[in-house]
Amino acid sequence: MNRILTILLSAFLLMAAASPLHAMPAVADVQAYTLKNGMKVLVLEDHGIPNVTLQIFFKVGSRNEYPGITGLSHFLEHMMFNGAAKYGPKMFDRVLENAGGTSNAYTTENVTSYQDWVPKSALELIFEMEADRMGSLALDEKIVESERGVVLSEYTTGYENSDYELLEDQLRAVAYQAHPYRWPIIGYEADIRNWRRSDIKEYFDRYCAPNNAVAVVVGDVTLAQVKSLVVKYLEPLPARASPRPVHTREPEQRGEKRLLVHKDVSSPRILIAYHVPETGTADYYALDLLSSILSTGKSSRFYSTLISDKQLATEISTYMPQALDPTLFYVYAICADGVSVKTLEKAIFQEIDKVINRGVTENELRKAQNNVVASFYRSLETMSNKADLIGSYEIFFGGYQKLFAAPDVYKKVTTTDIKSAAAKYFRKANRTVGVLEKSEEK
Amino acid sequence: MILKKRRLHNLFLGILIMSLLVTWMLAVFFIPPPGNVYAAQRETPSFALPAYEKIKLKNGLTVYLMEYHGVPLIYATAVFTAGAARDGGKSGLAYLTAEALFSGTKNHSKKQIEEKLEFLGANYYAYADLDTAGISMSFINTDQDKVLPLLKEVIQDAAFAPAEFEKRKKRLLLELVQAKEQPSLVLGPYYKKFIFGQHGYGNPLYGARTSVKKIRSIDARAFYEEHYRPEESALVLVGDFQTVEMKKKVQEYFSGWQGKGKEPPASAQTPLPFFAKPRILLVNKDDATETQFAFGGLGMPRSHPDYVAVQVVNTILGGRFTSWLNDALRIDASLTYGAGSYFDTFKTSGTFAINSFTRTESTIEAIDLARDVLSRLHTQGVDEGTLKDAKKYLIGQFPPLYETPGSLASLLAAMFIYDFDASYVNDFQKNVENVSVEKAKMVIAKHFPKENLQFVLIGKAAALRGQVIKYGELSEKDIESDGF
Repeated sequence: MNRILTILLSAFLLMAAASPLHAMPAVADVQAYTLKNGMKVLVLEDHGIPNVTLQIFFKVGSRNEYPGITGLSHFLEHMMFNGAAKYGPKMFDRVLENAGGTSNAYTTENVTSYQDWVPKSALELIFEMEADRMGSLALDEKIVESERGVVLSEYTTGYENSDYELLEDQLRAVAYQAHPYRWPIIGYEADIRNWRRSDIKEYFDRYCAPNNAVAVVVGDVTLAQVKSLVVKYLEPLPARASPRPVHTREPEQRGEKRLLVHKDVSSPRILIAYHVPETGTADYYALDLLSSILSTGKSSRFYSTLISDKQLATEISTYMPQALDPTLFYVYAICADGVSVKTLEKAIFQEIDKVINRGVTENELRKAQNNVVASFYRSLETMSNKADLIGSYEIFFGGYQKLFAAPDVYKKVTTTDIKSAAAKYFRKANRTVGVLEKSEEK
Repeated sequence: MILKKRRLHNLFLGILIMSLLVTWMLAVFFIPPPGNVYAAQRETPSFALPAYEKIKLKNGLTVYLMEYHGVPLIYATAVFTAGAARDGGKSGLAYLTAEALFSGTKNHSKKQIEEKLEFLGANYYAYADLDTAGISMSFINTDQDKVLPLLKEVIQDAAFAPAEFEKRKKRLLLELVQAKEQPSLVLGPYYKKFIFGQHGYGNPLYGARTSVKKIRSIDARAFYEEHYRPEESALVLVGDFQTVEMKKKVQEYFSGWQGKGKEPPASAQTPLPFFAKPRILLVNKDDATETQFAFGGLGMPRSHPDYVAVQVVNTILGGRFTSWLNDALRIDASLTYGAGSYFDTFKTSGTFAINSFTRTESTIEAIDLARDVLSRLHTQGVDEGTLKDAKKYLIGQFPPLYETPGSLASLLAAMFIYDFDASYVNDFQKNVENVSVEKAKMVIAKHFPKENLQFVLIGKAAALRGQVIKYGELSEKDIESDGF
């Protein structure tokens, strides 16, 4: 699949050689197989740069927690870097960085994902280290305590530097009555301070099992190389009992909910959230395109009306997270100087009502679809993004193959689909409205 | 979207943010004669810059063309020597001028430009950093004949309509207040101002309210006419096109651009500062529960020959997760979520800063610890083994920096501004490997400040004032006061 670029000669540089660049991957380029222990492995050869990304997704996030251990998925993610049988405390990062690699990890409501970015010379090393921590994580008591301090700093700095984070975390607690999406990914402060090593150990044993994981490899490697390494390092890890599925379902909301959060901010922030279905369902694509029509770019409905024309807001965005269970569609806006919450909120609802009553134009739909295609290309520019996308589609859409089919699926959505999705979900009784503003009390 | 990560993607948000785009300014030396074609050097088969062509149009505009066929996209970046360091007394002017380019032309209103580009799924933005201003676009390759004429218009025929200008200004005035509500966003501007003072590099990229209020669209037009000139600018195209054809299009659209004003006078800048004593600026935020801090001093310009050697040493001190600073403050002491050090480099100078944040009560402990780490660099230096590990890290993490057509376009633009060429990329590994213990010792003494450190803290002044006086001559500001 490599495209060979002809490289010209210059007066100064006599050397010339083929420069294999990236190529647009197709579904057939991804190789999938399942290990005997149930772990799924997806491989995409990509010879653009002499590096490789290994990303391992575990199907565990804050939705798997319960009060008392909220935030534990994220804390476990931190502890995965703090020592195992072979590579002890500090060793994971040291050995990896000294081999020219780096790593990170993230936790969401739904998944925990570990990313290693290395030169291809470190390919075997990362499989060995991942197998070490998956197979025999140490969870040293002392390090649990010191990592608690790190996460508490993360907790403080998150809320101190992001009004959005503060408001969204408070809003979810109101919008959800039952589902675990109601608590913050980082957890409640008291839970962070009080969980014990045994809680973490139990959580690790239950969820960090090969049969609960998907590994994605993208890079300057061959399928045969990867295959021999996963067989050597990951296949010997024993499968464990499948974790119990999250069965809680959010009951239907029966009437608009509202909340107020006080913080000393210059102008109020509004966050509106509607309950919508989980990722990958039929209405997901219509809602995703509607999100783009409402807020992608300056010609979008919200931006052109509320920011450019009426000057009621300085910022407005919409967002629908990838989610395994029914989730929320968010609209976030910041009031312009001197504009009241009431005025901006009313203007937002007017725009939403327009979609419900009159739908969107063919031109708007085409624009949103064009943006999906362009974004799809942009998302395939790096090994790291490709790995993240392939894994996310495998987990959230029921198969990595859906990634490559996505542009066509979006093209099939009609203006009628969008209008009916808006009418179905953007109802007053289905929404929660959160406001963050200065307290009037002194 | 909230996503909890194990570490900040960039530890130096405080230093960098408000200009997400500054990070792309990486780079070094010789400008080859126009018209030549430079091939990727493959001596080290591991990683080399893809081939590109550099030409000069008859109006003096420098053009870089690099084919990249991985995705059917084209990236276009135009870069002008019109950054915030030239704001003069009107801070925010360079930024507002750049933004005004997309706000309407002779033939298209702001709305028409937005509608046309966005219908195609194109991305576009204008920016200003300290040395330069620019516009960047990315679009699907089959749309090039629709996008390039618009790119030509925004570069050559911006209308500077007062109504749109005033609207943007009004929003900026509020954004400047909002930024102060997120201390990590404004640590960088406070630090730069504290370091550079009246020098142009102290100018905040987005201005300050009192200054922005006074700027009119005619000021932006005048700034444009003075500083946006083809002979001082470059156009970079990277993407899925054929160079021969693209070259013809570039000639067609851009060779007619003529600068409107007079030759700008050689910029007379205030001299760079010299620090004869340690100083500390305490920025009060009454409701703060944590302190954001940065300390250090003057750094070096991007073109400095020690640039690569300094990167190697800084990797050890604070440039990676296992760096001495992060190890001491985060891993061992649990005082913070992240600590690091950073050289921010510009055309004629730069800054060095150690940067972290911690709970108000642990502020002094964290700063003292970070200072000890810096002292250790000076007293102990770095040994052979540590140096070897850091080199391997830098070399291993280098290719992903230039993996995308967008990052390659930024690199070529930086080559133009900071006078360097493909050898920066192609010789990087060799140059890193050549840094000896002796060389490291030399750059530590020369580039890492040891005394007369300059500190900026944003936090609860009432809780900190009495203790931080030990760091140097104390001055205070309130975060709600205008400017930095």
